[in-house]
Amino acid sequence: MLEIVIQGRGGQGAQTAGNLLAATFFAEGRHVQSFASYGGARRGTPVSSFIRVDDRPVRVRCDIERADAILCFDATLLEGRLLATAHERTLVVVNSGRSIADFARALPGLRVIPVDAIAISRRAGLGRIVNSALLGAFARAIGTPPLATLERTLAELSPKLTAENLAACKDGHRTVDALLREEVAA
Amino acid sequence: MSPATKAMRTPDATAASGDGARTMLLTGNQAVAWGARLARPKVCPVYPITPQTPVLEQLTEFQAAGEFDAEIITPESEHSVMSACIPASLAGVRVFTATASQGLLLMHELLHYASGARAPIVMANINRTVASPWAFWPDQTDSLAQRDTGWIQLYVESAQEALDSVIQAFRVAEAVQVPAMINLDAFYVSHAMEPVAVPAPAEVDAYLPPFAPEHRLDTGKVESWGNVVSQDMFYRHRQSIEQAMGRVPQLLAEADRAWHERFGRAWGVVERYRCEGADTVVVTMGSMCGTARDAIDAMRDAGQAVGLVKVRLFRPLPVAALRAALAGVRDVVVLDRNHSPGAGGILHQELRAALYGMPGAPRVHGLLAGVGGVNVPPGRIVEFVRQARASDPLPESVWVR
Repeated sequence: MLEIVIQGRGGQGAQTAGNLLAATFFAEGRHVQSFASYGGARRGTPVSSFIRVDDRPVRVRCDIERADAILCFDATLLEGRLLATAHERTLVVVNSGRSIADFARALPGLRVIPVDAIAISRRAGLGRIVNSALLGAFARAIGTPPLATLERTLAELSPKLTAENLAACKDGHRTVDALLREEVAA
Repeated sequence: MSPATKAMRTPDATAASGDGARTMLLTGNQAVAWGARLARPKVCPVYPITPQTPVLEQLTEFQAAGEFDAEIITPESEHSVMSACIPASLAGVRVFTATASQGLLLMHELLHYASGARAPIVMANINRTVASPWAFWPDQTDSLAQRDTGWIQLYVESAQEALDSVIQAFRVAEAVQVPAMINLDAFYVSHAMEPVAVPAPAEVDAYLPPFAPEHRLDTGKVESWGNVVSQDMFYRHRQSIEQAMGRVPQLLAEADRAWHERFGRAWGVVERYRCEGADTVVVTMGSMCGTARDAIDAMRDAGQAVGLVKVRLFRPLPVAALRAALAGVRDVVVLDRNHSPGAGGILHQELRAALYGMPGAPRVHGLLAGVGGVNVPPGRIVEFVRQARASDPLPESVWVR
């Protein structure tokens, strides 16, 4: 079972991102469970979205205590409670303009891949709405789900600005791809 | 309040068959709304409250799309919601509503009235902590505090079971003219999006015929409800409700069997999971059953004879089924995600009463686990069971986490 935690702040789209990711895995024929937990969904308060993906129906109904991968919408949330769910093999994708090396120094022992999703979203004409960029980046970082399926889900479910969301998703995917290739080359 | 309430319809993965049955990604709340839609109620009074609001949102979306032919009434409070449900039901139409937590508590007076008036309303309640302090976590104290109101109570584990149970509940409630409440845990079920098989409307119509009560409020054929009565009439009225409740376990089992024949899924009245030869059995309700299944599998893999009994029907308490399911078991470990101050866990009390006097009755350990939404992962359940097996049961419930 693949267990993913998405952490954001109310209004940033973490819950929507979780549901889009779940829909994509579902479209891939996987069993999924996606749920958010929040203290009233006020704008700005931390919101956690949990996604489980498996080849058989997901029965367990509790918070994810050890995440295989974390998608963090806001680098200020990369602390305490969220990091407690990480272990040595957890992969973290964070919305940040800082470098891989910066995070490696700040959080030793943790694999953190930063992606400047705000810059990507602005280029795509989405302003500060970062979830499509982050989903593209995250899918590339963890190697699943395939970009084509993610794009189909976004095309189907984006309430508006579909072309812009698809562009941001692709750009996020490409950015992480380049980052990982650079790392291999270095 | 709920940013992602739109149904995630993914055409590529939506297995649609010619008769309109399909598999969709739905939250527990959306599944409840689908259950209601398929049951074709005529009146739906509702008042929004977190975490039930997406049920109302989905019903109004169905209605706006012309897919839900019910009158949706939005009165000024949950008390008024139930006040609207009762006469609508007595007028002879199918009535559905949904609420949570404080909303259910505000209905309390009318819950008694609804069962006394023999109005077979079906209501979904999203189990959420009760104030004060204010919180939004899963906790079943809200509905368990209504256990004496005369409503049938079911506790479900998944979105699929929520959808199926709404429809089954109408069938049972209308057969005995007693209202029914479907309870699902906040977030773990209400906001968990998962694959749900949505049955074909025609199949549900065949399973659940239109509501056609023998007596109803009708100005053309004058009858009345709720008159002032003598002691004797009141006494006999309560006996009649008790008799109706007594028929519920059997009727639910039949409704579930008929559901299985038509749709291939059954949920049971109480479900025994891997109880063959078990010396220890975990007993719980709602979403924690799913987590307990993984714990049971882990313990079975480790060679321990541990099973799970899921109490799906809590009111009426299926005493005979519980006694049969737990006969010969040495230790019963009750997990209560609720709290009755001064008495402990409510399922613990009820189960002990149900098993009292049974020859060779199991030792019953009551654990207050997950109260206030505290996380209970499978590993904790394994540990709770280990500790319970190694100790003598106490008369009171024990706080664990």
